Amino acid sequence: MRPILLQGHERSITQIKYNRDGDLLFTVAKDPVVNVWYSVNGERLGTYSGHTGAVWCVDVDWDTRHVLSGSADNSCRLWDCETGKQLALLETNSAVRTCGFDFGGNIIMFSTDKQMGYQCFVSFIDLRDPTQIEDNEPYMKIPCSESKITSAVWGPLGENIIAGHENGELNQYSAKSGEIVNSIKEHSKQINDIQTSRDMTMFVTASKDCTSKLFDSTSLEHQKTFRTERPVNSAAISPIYDHVVLGGGQEAMDVTTTSTRIGKFEARFFHVAFEEEFGRVKGHFGPINSLAFHPDGKSYSSGGEDGYVRIHYFDPQYFDFEFES
Amino acid sequence: MPTEDYDSKPSWADQVEEEGIDPEPISPPVTKVQQDPASFVLDTPQEVINGKIKTITEYKLNDEGKKIKIVRTFKIETLKASKVVAHRKNWKKFGNSEYDPPGPNVATTTVSDDVLMTFITSKEDLNNQEEEDPMNKLKGQKIVSCRICKGDHWTTRCPYKDTLGPMQKELAEQLGLSTGDKEKAPGAEPEPAQAPVSKTGKYVPPSLRDGGSRRGESMQPNRRADDNATIRVTNLSEDTRETDLQELFRPFGSISRIYLAKDKTTGQSKGFAFISFHRREDAARAIAGVSGFGYDHLILNVEWAKPSTN
Repeated sequence: MRPILLQGHERSITQIKYNRDGDLLFTVAKDPVVNVWYSVNGERLGTYSGHTGAVWCVDVDWDTRHVLSGSADNSCRLWDCETGKQLALLETNSAVRTCGFDFGGNIIMFSTDKQMGYQCFVSFIDLRDPTQIEDNEPYMKIPCSESKITSAVWGPLGENIIAGHENGELNQYSAKSGEIVNSIKEHSKQINDIQTSRDMTMFVTASKDCTSKLFDSTSLEHQKTFRTERPVNSAAISPIYDHVVLGGGQEAMDVTTTSTRIGKFEARFFHVAFEEEFGRVKGHFGPINSLAFHPDGKSYSSGGEDGYVRIHYFDPQYFDFEFES
Repeated sequence: MPTEDYDSKPSWADQVEEEGIDPEPISPPVTKVQQDPASFVLDTPQEVINGKIKTITEYKLNDEGKKIKIVRTFKIETLKASKVVAHRKNWKKFGNSEYDPPGPNVATTTVSDDVLMTFITSKEDLNNQEEEDPMNKLKGQKIVSCRICKGDHWTTRCPYKDTLGPMQKELAEQLGLSTGDKEKAPGAEPEPAQAPVSKTGKYVPPSLRDGGSRRGESMQPNRRADDNATIRVTNLSEDTRETDLQELFRPFGSISRIYLAKDKTTGQSKGFAFISFHRREDAARAIAGVSGFGYDHLILNVEWAKPSTN
């Protein structure tokens, strides 16, 4: 396969996400721009300009009308997807680490960092109520005193959010009452990424403790573990096969201090049921920070510490491959 | 997918030929090209659509100031998409891409080199492990053993090859002994010296080292008794040192004392030396072995030392 290389960022990629139809790819990095690309040929549709700091997270609603981005400039912004106009600016006290639209696209969630004397909060805003945006007054704010949230997604049916913490804990917060419904600690280190399957029945985590784990998204029951020898920065579930793809590698700060020349910056494909690796794709020359499967499962994209986003369309061999246990 | 071809020399013949083939009328800038070759550097890319293949030709100056012709060939694919996706495809570009022409912009979108997914099957993994295991087993074993010093290396690589080797051979020939027996004596020598170091890394005072309890050999009171095991070596070269003699005579037996006559002022050898062995048989063997031996281009003369007169 010949990957399409997207050079729209000047700094390392923090997150990439496809919209529901998979025709658009949103990328954010540690520079202030939010880029959107046509996934089919890598053509850039546009940029959402306005942030003044590193952008940590991006999300798009189900009908690709609105885009949400959270940044280290202490703001969460809502954009019009088609024109790139800023619709709302939600100021926060500290950097916004994660953000997301619920299934219906009416309620947004974002979490802020424990920083500058402020606690880590998860805020919920109903976009149907204009006063909440105007007054910057979320209808609910859940404090997380213990360990800050490093990754979060909406759970099934928009009932709760699943949050991964810096200490490796996973918590399920109810979107109605704000209380913790479920809590487990399967990881020993920071959870870098959480991504749900297409039907949202399960999700996969990527942790700094060199493992990635698959959980049931309602009961938080641990199902599978995928082991590597490097910190995992991102993991995604294939929508059509029992495959997960893991991306990671040495931490950027350790690259110069370790003896190995090979940083293991490949994207690694694991079989979900057998928990075994069956394929690798090279390409990035830094750790992979974010991975995403196209909703049709025929391509995937990766964004790395090197600042590039690569769109890979699978070769026929991938579809012909049969896993031998 | 676009593919790029780089042609270092823009050939006029090529240019004309291509124009002849092109079914589409050529845009005005091309006629200008023919008049003024220097100006085509700034030309807008020329686009030709031929069925499903679109070809874009541009001219640029490279770093060396040479004109390069870039031909990019695109395959036009028609994809069926849902209404919303098709609608989104026609959205106007905005933000930093506002003024980009339709189609991917080379500044932001490129096609990288071909990469392949490397498939790993569990069978391969198992094979790799099996291959590794026998190697690990062998690591602990001593595969090679030196015939001279019994070290863990080939005989030809032995550090004592040049000094011990010929001596041992000669001795073995003369005594009719098997080399195996005799090897041990000189071969064992480097090992005890290293042993205390390898046991612990600590400093051991000389008094506690191996043989520390022994008295210095030069202090032995019955030195005279050895006189009957002393040989005199003459016709030595001036450059001879005591260590050379030690090396030369050690294979015959243990030496108790070496005296090399030296000039007091220059420190150079006077050309003779006395070697005292512990045993008379060793001395006898040394006389038989080294007398008439060519050493440093001089033929050595070895005989029994006469008892000293004083």
